[in-house]
Amino acid sequence: MGRYAIRRLLQLVPVVLGTTFIINYMVWQLPGDPFAGRCGQRPCPDSYVTAMREQFGLDQPILLQYGNFLKNLLTGNMGTDFNGVSVASQLGDAWPITIRLALMAVAFEAVIGIGAGVLSGLKRGGFLDNVVTISTLFLLSLPIFVTGFLLQWLLGVRLGIITPTVPDEATVVQLIVPALVLASLNMAFTSRLTRTSIVENLRSDYVRTAVAKGLTNRRVVGIHLLRNSLIPVLTFLGTEVGSLMSGAIITEGIFNIHGIGGLLWTAINRQDYTVVVPVATLLVLVYLIANLLVDLLYGVLDPRIRYE
Amino acid sequence: MSDPTATQDLIKGADDPAASPVAVRDSQRSLWRDTWDILKRRKIFWISLVLLILFLLMAAFPSLFTHKDPEYATLSKSMELPSAEAWFGYDLQGRDVWARTIYGARTSIIVGVLATLATVVLGGLTGVLAAYFGRWIDAVVSRVGEMFLGLPYVLGAIIILGTIAPAQSNPSKFTIMTVVIVVLALLGWPILMRIARSAVIQAKHQDYVQAARALGAGPMRIIFRHLLPNSLAPILVYATITIGSFIGAEATLSLLGIGLRSPVISWGIAIADHKDYLRTGPHAMFFPAGFLSLCVLTFVMLGEAVRDALDPKLR
Repeated sequence: MGRYAIRRLLQLVPVVLGTTFIINYMVWQLPGDPFAGRCGQRPCPDSYVTAMREQFGLDQPILLQYGNFLKNLLTGNMGTDFNGVSVASQLGDAWPITIRLALMAVAFEAVIGIGAGVLSGLKRGGFLDNVVTISTLFLLSLPIFVTGFLLQWLLGVRLGIITPTVPDEATVVQLIVPALVLASLNMAFTSRLTRTSIVENLRSDYVRTAVAKGLTNRRVVGIHLLRNSLIPVLTFLGTEVGSLMSGAIITEGIFNIHGIGGLLWTAINRQDYTVVVPVATLLVLVYLIANLLVDLLYGVLDPRIRYE
Repeated sequence: MSDPTATQDLIKGADDPAASPVAVRDSQRSLWRDTWDILKRRKIFWISLVLLILFLLMAAFPSLFTHKDPEYATLSKSMELPSAEAWFGYDLQGRDVWARTIYGARTSIIVGVLATLATVVLGGLTGVLAAYFGRWIDAVVSRVGEMFLGLPYVLGAIIILGTIAPAQSNPSKFTIMTVVIVVLALLGWPILMRIARSAVIQAKHQDYVQAARALGAGPMRIIFRHLLPNSLAPILVYATITIGSFIGAEATLSLLGIGLRSPVISWGIAIADHKDYLRTGPHAMFFPAGFLSLCVLTFVMLGEAVRDALDPKLR
């Protein structure tokens, strides 16, 4: 396991360097003005652009710029936003809310997704299976913002069950609907993955052996079948924690939640790219690290992976 | 498995009433023939096919569905609710929502299809090359793919689009569509590269490839005549579903204000323009959103029907 972990860690290094390099290159080297939005609705004066180019070292060789970009990121020096407020302190305020939202979303995905998947997989072709298949198909085709606006309008504006936007404190109860919206797409994926996995394993030799030994149905399903079927599902859930972060941009924007996603949404609307880039890069890093952790977890759950 | 005659079989099978299941078993059986036999019995396939044709008609000849001008605005009718005269009501500028929704199909579908095409070409080529030549080419392609996979869709698009085409800028219709298509393809190719790569690696060691090589066929011939046609099935399925998800992605980017923008007519722009008027006129947003979701659903359903038919495990 130790060697496997080290190998995976070493494999991550070029990917992190490459991805951050791509981001850095695209933002600063491609045509376009990364400072366009720094001055609000009017174009920036030349003197300001020159000062900014100097501050961000755009006149230096590209590799040196990249080095500085990494150094600033690692030391937490992420500059200030349009109003001169430090990005790092805003991130500090926003993290807890986004983490709460993401954890709730993962919980919904796990409970509802796995539950529906297991039920439909065990009774393949039954009524419940059809209901789950069709409803996941619908969930898969609804872009996340459509689900978001729909629930906001239906529950918030029409029925008045929830407040259309989430207040500042963003308690668990207030976050239920946004978390469901954030989870909706992955919930459908989870349930489908669980179903496929269950259906495949139901035909496997070890399940047949377990049944032949005379074990009760509950034991066969609960111990033998579920444990093996859920390994791919768990890894999927893990990988998707990272992508939830980018889904959070839309969800937090719609429900006006002051998390990382909301921060990005506002910064994009204000064209404040010197804020967007470090925050987006951080989210990419979270995504990559989540993937690494999942790979390690995979190694623990399924020992065969380690010896590939 | 697949050769040029297979496609003819597929078409022949469609209008030949004598092709009963027994007769089919006796004649040549190919993957595509099998697939078609299964597909034509699935209700979901026919539903998605009908919807697909409707959407394609909408994109090609919007005037078949409406006589109104999607650009014509009557400000006094701003946000008027649906009525017999205007089925979907009027939007913020007093333009007919039904007409704009119909005309929006074209942009959304063009972006989805072209971006998918670019993804397939880029990902398919790199995947086939990586799998066929192996060694360092494979290593380089796979690592570069991993780097792009490290960028989640929305984030990657925000970073790239934000700098090339920030919300304040006013690019021409052609420029912004090209940029969005390129960005979607750039972020989407690694998944297709992996699919194509694994399909070709599997096919590479089959006897017919060895035979072709023994007969002196060069790499180009082996790739294009033997490997590609036989690795097409998984690529095709993924591409169909991807068209749907790209249409959704385009709308998401428009919603964020960094994708397409006025005066382009698209579902995403209509949704973005009316997202702040949910209370007074939800119709201006939900009708385009409904069409958008239905269109995504069509491609997802079609892809899934084809995948189920191609998957031997379910037979």
